[in-house]
Amino acid sequence: MMMTQQRPFFVPFLVPAVLVAVIFAAAMFNVFQYSFLEFIPGSVEVGGFTLDNFTRINRPVYYWVLLDTFLLSFATAFFALVLSYPISFALVRAEKNWVRSVLVVLAITPLFTGEIVRTYSWMLVLGTDGVVNNTLKALSLIDASIPIMYTRAGVVIALVQFAMPVMIILLATAISQVKRDCEKAAANLGATPNTVFWRVTIPLTMPGILSGFVVVFAWTMSAFSTPQLIGGGKVLMISNVVYLQGFSSFNLPFAAVLSLIALGAALGSLGLMKLATARFERNLATA
Amino acid sequence: MKRVVIGLGALAMAFAVTPSSAQEKLIVSTWGGNWKDGAGIIAKEFTKRTGMEVEFITGGTLDRLAKAKVAKDNPESDVTYTTSHVGYLYQSDNLFEKLDMSKIPNAADLYPAGDRGGYEMGVYSYVYTPAFRTDLMPEGFKVDSWKVLWDKSMEGKLGLPDFDPSHIVIASSIMEGKTPSDWESVTDKLEALKPSIKAFYQSDATSQDLIRTGETPVQVLLSINGYHLIEQGVPIEIDIPSEGAVVGIGALGINAGTKKLDAAHEFINVALDPAIQEQLCEFHKCSPMNQKAKVSPELAKLPGIFTTPEQWEKEAIVLDDETYAKLLPLWKIWFTENMMH
Repeated sequence: MMMTQQRPFFVPFLVPAVLVAVIFAAAMFNVFQYSFLEFIPGSVEVGGFTLDNFTRINRPVYYWVLLDTFLLSFATAFFALVLSYPISFALVRAEKNWVRSVLVVLAITPLFTGEIVRTYSWMLVLGTDGVVNNTLKALSLIDASIPIMYTRAGVVIALVQFAMPVMIILLATAISQVKRDCEKAAANLGATPNTVFWRVTIPLTMPGILSGFVVVFAWTMSAFSTPQLIGGGKVLMISNVVYLQGFSSFNLPFAAVLSLIALGAALGSLGLMKLATARFERNLATA
Repeated sequence: MKRVVIGLGALAMAFAVTPSSAQEKLIVSTWGGNWKDGAGIIAKEFTKRTGMEVEFITGGTLDRLAKAKVAKDNPESDVTYTTSHVGYLYQSDNLFEKLDMSKIPNAADLYPAGDRGGYEMGVYSYVYTPAFRTDLMPEGFKVDSWKVLWDKSMEGKLGLPDFDPSHIVIASSIMEGKTPSDWESVTDKLEALKPSIKAFYQSDATSQDLIRTGETPVQVLLSINGYHLIEQGVPIEIDIPSEGAVVGIGALGINAGTKKLDAAHEFINVALDPAIQEQLCEFHKCSPMNQKAKVSPELAKLPGIFTTPEQWEKEAIVLDDETYAKLLPLWKIWFTENMMH
């Protein structure tokens, strides 16, 4: 009653979230049920109760796919952070309006093109006869094309570009909250610009850095079309394996098990990251 | 407020009108792009004969099967165009009507491969076979046997479909003197192919991109896509190895629960008409199922176009749909676990 009086819109605003949560829970329950059902080759119907789908998961290939998913997501979040920070910084601190406008357009426009379009563009850039290889050849830096497509590096490059607009928005918000007085005070006390940046600005934007990292990491854990097209079946993330098992083989029960594991891995990773983040913030506060 | 009510009323009318007009049409589920255009050849003649319009709904092979499974008793479409072994999945899950052959008189003239077991009819055939870019491979290069794909010179050149490893599994089995059902005895041979594989393609579009850009100068390629690229000026040679090429059959079935059974049968009958078969095969560069269809000499001489019983005997590897449908998921699982990562 007290809560309703203090926040009159709390309950109505909560309704959509609850609805989404209920639908999600119902869908996941369905997936959970499927994971215990028998796969019948040559049929789209499933059989009776079985635990075989869970024993099948105990194969090295699935551990490798999970590890790859984790590493690719981590690398994507890391490089997106490193590349986005200077852009966000310039975006917030640029003195001229037109510079800010250009940066906003350059940084955010990719969000308005679809994932498939962007991935196809990267295929043209990273291919054997693509822009990167042709440029390197024209500069006589390489004699023959270097393989970028169908490699982990190629997948990470495309995923980083995909994630950067979101990372830039999150970092720009955090950087805009930093009081310039703090930086000026540090400078007045003799800190070099380098020291101010590393000892004042970065720590003060740490909440944005951490949330950006976590968001991009979680987002990338479920990446599908980019690893599918750039990876060309040679680099598989967990979503690709779910698709291959579920829609190519029609082994929906096993795809259900993989989906549950993917969800568990994502939640587990996020939980660990949350713990690490909390610890990091505590250390920062006491430093 | 009055305007809003009138607007909503008009919208409701528009929705109410749509289903009734849709009832006058035969709904055909098919693939998009070129495939839909090919189905349009049948539709045009069907409309001419019956006066009934045809409306297409498009999607991928397995997406459409999944939708049909969900819709089950209330099918979205009256007729489904699919691959024959996927048609078996429709059939085994009671998603196809048993065909009344008395309503499909053209079925009497089909090659044996056209008879897909009473629930679907083969309309045309194509092959999955090795193909390569002539400008990117050494002069005189030929894939006269599937064994060539294992050659050391093929390292990092080959593209295979990720959605269907059946062609390479079937070819490997036959190459090793086994039957596709004995595929487990050739898994070592399949694993030995890994160094040749550069990438797996996910669709016709990515297949065409990979060979057009030269990323995979050699592919196990759908012949129809190969001929499409050749028409666009891409220098490609399609070979039929001595062991034969793996045949795929585009088939039509009638969705269980359709209210337009007669029209659906007539659609299939039109598709099997010799004249329509000729048009369809000239359009897709595929083989007719009706023995009476006479394709042009230019088309008939292309590799993978079968117009005589002898060619079917010597050059075609045809697997029955039940075996194909039951083994494909096992091949797929094995392939994902052992070849792709």
